[in-house]
Amino acid sequence: MIWSVSFGLLALLALSLPVGVVLFLLGIGIDTFYSPFPLIRGLGQIVYSSSDSFLLIAIPFFVLLGEILVRAGIAERTYKSLDAWFSWLPGGLVHANIGTATLFSATSGSSVATAATVATVAMPQADRLGYDPRLFAGAVAAGGTLGILIPPSINLIVYGFLTETSVPRLFLAGLVPGLLMAVGFMAVTALICAKRPHLGGPSRSFTWRERMSGLRHLIPIGLLFGVVVGSIYRGWATPTEAAAIGVAMALVIAAFYQSVSFSMITEALLGTVKSTAMIMFVIVGAYFLNYTLAAAGLGRQLTDLLENLGLGAYGTLIVIIFLYIVLGFFIETLSLMIATIPIVVPIISGLGFDKVWFGILMIVLIEMALITPPVGLNLYVVQGARTKGSLTDVMVGVIPYVVVMLLMVVALVLVPDLALFLTNGL
Amino acid sequence: MTDIKMANRSGPARLAARLGRINRIIAILAGIALLATVALILLEIVLRQTAIGSIGGSDEISGYVMAGVATWGFAYALTERAHVRIDILQSRLPLPGKGLFDLLALASVFAIALTVSIHAWDVLGKTLARDSHANTPLATPLWIPQSIWFGGWVWLAIVAVLLLACITVLIAEREWESVRAIAGGGTETGEL
Amino acid sequence: QNLDDTSLSVVGSWSSLPLDKDFERPFWTKTLPADSQGKVSVQMTTFDQMGVKGGDVFRMLSDGVFDVGMTVGDYVVGDAPELEGLDVPLVASDADTEHKVIDAARPMVADIMKKRFGAKLLAIVPYPPQVVFCNADVKSLRDLKGKKVRASGRMAAILLEKLGAEGITMSFSEVPGALERGVIDCAVTGAGSGYSAGWWESSTHLLTLPLGGWDPVITAMNQDKWNGLSPAMQSFLETEIKTKFEDKVWAAAGDALSGDVACLTGRGECKAGKPASMTLVEPTKQDEALAKKVLTEDVLPDWAKRAGGDWAKRWNDSVGKVVGVSVAAP
Ligand code: NA
Ligand code: NA
Repeated sequence: MIWSVSFGLLALLALSLPVGVVLFLLGIGIDTFYSPFPLIRGLGQIVYSSSDSFLLIAIPFFVLLGEILVRAGIAERTYKSLDAWFSWLPGGLVHANIGTATLFSATSGSSVATAATVATVAMPQADRLGYDPRLFAGAVAAGGTLGILIPPSINLIVYGFLTETSVPRLFLAGLVPGLLMAVGFMAVTALICAKRPHLGGPSRSFTWRERMSGLRHLIPIGLLFGVVVGSIYRGWATPTEAAAIGVAMALVIAAFYQSVSFSMITEALLGTVKSTAMIMFVIVGAYFLNYTLAAAGLGRQLTDLLENLGLGAYGTLIVIIFLYIVLGFFIETLSLMIATIPIVVPIISGLGFDKVWFGILMIVLIEMALITPPVGLNLYVVQGARTKGSLTDVMVGVIPYVVVMLLMVVALVLVPDLALFLTNGL
Repeated sequence: MTDIKMANRSGPARLAARLGRINRIIAILAGIALLATVALILLEIVLRQTAIGSIGGSDEISGYVMAGVATWGFAYALTERAHVRIDILQSRLPLPGKGLFDLLALASVFAIALTVSIHAWDVLGKTLARDSHANTPLATPLWIPQSIWFGGWVWLAIVAVLLLACITVLIAEREWESVRAIAGGGTETGEL
Repeated sequence: QNLDDTSLSVVGSWSSLPLDKDFERPFWTKTLPADSQGKVSVQMTTFDQMGVKGGDVFRMLSDGVFDVGMTVGDYVVGDAPELEGLDVPLVASDADTEHKVIDAARPMVADIMKKRFGAKLLAIVPYPPQVVFCNADVKSLRDLKGKKVRASGRMAAILLEKLGAEGITMSFSEVPGALERGVIDCAVTGAGSGYSAGWWESSTHLLTLPLGGWDPVITAMNQDKWNGLSPAMQSFLETEIKTKFEDKVWAAAGDALSGDVACLTGRGECKAGKPASMTLVEPTKQDEALAKKVLTEDVLPDWAKRAGGDWAKRWNDSVGKVVGVSVAAP
């Protein structure tokens, strides 16, 4: 079953059918060929339930927040001021991509929204300054994935919801690994560009005066982070509600910069509805595919596989990590989490691993899934912000960052305290 | 939409442009619904902090809004050519080949939209037959959010089939540029 | 036995909870196939693993998407308001009473399942009672006045309103943080879930009153599927489900509750892990009287109106008799 699904997926995608349609078609195919039961009769119910979701409304909120920041010029000012700090490094502006993505991750709970925001500001710079388009786009796509590791995070909310784990604790646990990974992204960029200087753009230097004066442009982002995450920790808002607070705060900041106008709001709303529809079409299709896979026995196959291997705790953990890497190529991330968490987390917890720690480990693997082809939403989003060049550029460009993610997985397994030491005091 | 105007002012192209404008208005309405939901959630948070007490139900309503916004947005994303397609193979084809792939893609959207619409009607039909209400303090009659959601899928099917008719005519007339302008991928990736 | 070869697709309840792990799954995938000498083969998943909402399980069962479905009765009351009568909060404070309540309600539930979902009722078993965790000094039901309480469902909402408390809806995983930071004062869930999710870290008092009822889980089969089975298979299934599934869950229910309470309060033996030290607040006579008053005057009349028909009378004649509560017909 897995093989025919993978082959069908690749073939239909190659026909350049919309990804959401492909997922629906595969689900219908599984129903027809692998299930003795008329799963299609549940289609309507699944599609409705997957879109009527209080958790998912955080996606348009975070996209709207990003749209407002872009249209109020805040994203661009943030980008420029980080450029002043990082462009002396080998790789120049690529570091600003990663830095900006890291900062926006602290205000956005969605990796796709983060990547979309940064891509809008950053991608036009690549050609102008003569950067290698692959590395440049790859840094935006990979940097954007930090959106779900650095709090707030929709995916951690979903994990907490499904595993009955405290969301504020998960958020705290994601912070250090998220920052470490940002540093890792920059390190690998510097390493590559030191070896192959032509991949990076021109080396530019800024005076300390320019750097210091640019710092004030980081205030809005700091303020947003404080309000969004602060409202959760102060007990004013639930993590989902905090996304709405973020939108309101972004509007206040935009008003402060005198960039709120009727047309600005209209354009921001249009952009939000467009991106939301694009993301949700994939997610709804993925839910239906997931439902048919589960009904056709994927869950049982997974459970049998994991339970019958007879490996020890770490052996099982390694198999699970490997599974997520492979499934992550093909399955959309939210539905991947929903399909596997009920199977995997009880096993992990039974082996004596910490649920909060595993949540963070899983998010790193999910981040990887966001940038591995053929189904990788962040790849699509970054490609969508480009004016020329093919999707292949982005796919090649993310490879070094995937390596950093793999290293992060190893680090988390070897040193669980990377995730846990902040939460232990709680 | 500018490229459509330049390439062709024939009937099909005008119809496609008009569908684009209608969907733009729908998308703005959907956006306003999102803003209203932000306001509702903020009100809920503020009231909970004060002695007045919570109004409740903002989470429930948010879910309904999400279903409505996403579903009605599908047709807008279609006319904006924003749905994700992978064009690794398509980008290597000559213009007529690209046009035929676009036709296939649009036909597949129509097929899925129609299939979902039919099954969506089952859901709404059951709700109407049973007069189902949410088991919440609001006890929302579920036909309201489900009608909006059902309508979104039907509208997607309508827009897809109209666009399909447009580009079929354009293909018959060998107007390949216009086909791309209406149904091509969002980003023109050109040759590698 | 002359059993035909039968294959069943079965959808269980929450895969993370003991009911599915310890009872549903072993019964359907091991016991039943073995006892039938391999005549019954079962393919099983759970609604959460399928990404199906609990409230959609019986809609899909009636469509014939699968053969056997299990879900919490309260989840489907949107489609069948009369079913709320199965799980009235506060009427049963121990497993024995709840068992009697459910036995009394069974004919009603069977009718509802048949009429609303075209389904054959196979079993009703309880989750642990939905008790109250408070991060506040709460000594009785009366003390909930002015408190913010997380609960779900319309009956609980009306109950809280009449007690002068404020009902708040929020997702399960958001509760511990919300309790700790005072967003809410109390929250309702099963004692076992509350223990394993660490709610005791952010709350001080445990009221063992089942303010959220018992969340009974209904097992049902698609009626066409049932009608297509041979009489021998039908009676085999009914006996198996009764003796090897339902009775076992009930036998464990009483111990489960006292074990969970022991784990939460540190009184008695806790097998699940390190015991917590919450203050145990047991229901008093005054609490029971107050509960009865609010149920009779507000909660049940509101339900009787929504359910319509002769459901109030049927409830009075069955469940009402067992618990000594009666509702005026609308
Ligand atoms: Na984030
Ligand atoms: Na992927």
